[in-house]
Amino acid sequence: MPYYQTWEEFARAAEKLYLTAPMKVRVVLKYRHCDGNLRIKVTDDAVCLQYKTDQAQDVKKIEKLHGKLMRLMVSKESGAMETD
Amino acid sequence: MVLLENDSFLTELTRLFQKCRTSGSVAITLKKYDGRTKPVPRKGHPVNYEPADNKCLLRASDGKKKISTVVSSKEVIKFQMAYSNLLRAHMDGLKKKDKKSKSKKNKATQ
Repeated sequence: MPYYQTWEEFARAAEKLYLTAPMKVRVVLKYRHCDGNLRIKVTDDAVCLQYKTDQAQDVKKIEKLHGKLMRLMVSKESGAMETD
Repeated sequence: MVLLENDSFLTELTRLFQKCRTSGSVAITLKKYDGRTKPVPRKGHPVNYEPADNKCLLRASDGKKKISTVVSSKEVIKFQMAYSNLLRAHMDGLKKKDKKSKSKKNKATQ
């Protein structure tokens, strides 16, 4: 179970994995307040990338990546953004 | 598994976080969703669902209670803002960065 040591590597690998298999990849976030740690996992059920942290500064990074992937998932193939 | 509207999902997710402050974990899963409502049929049967490309499925659980919601491109902007605020507000039990003055001894290892 590879836990990445640096956030940069994890974020890059996670985005790359998603782009290769958008329908298969899922992102799992697990937060334990009592233990004070946060884990994120990105997997396509063949490859599994994980990152864990107990640092408050990583919450923002993780939340940003999560939002980025969410936006990638809802964007259409053509890449055209819906403008209101 | 309870499928909720985006707003209800956010409310319930807040409750999950509050419930798990003393023990337990909150697990959130995010996956691209193509809009199918029936299981994948065996071969030979026609697949009759309209493939949608602009949705994602969000699930959350505290080990006992499970909730989920579908977010589409129209709602994602609003949802993502509220969702980010929620995460940042509740995931506050982590260690803050140590001040440099405390780790003077560790400088030797670098």
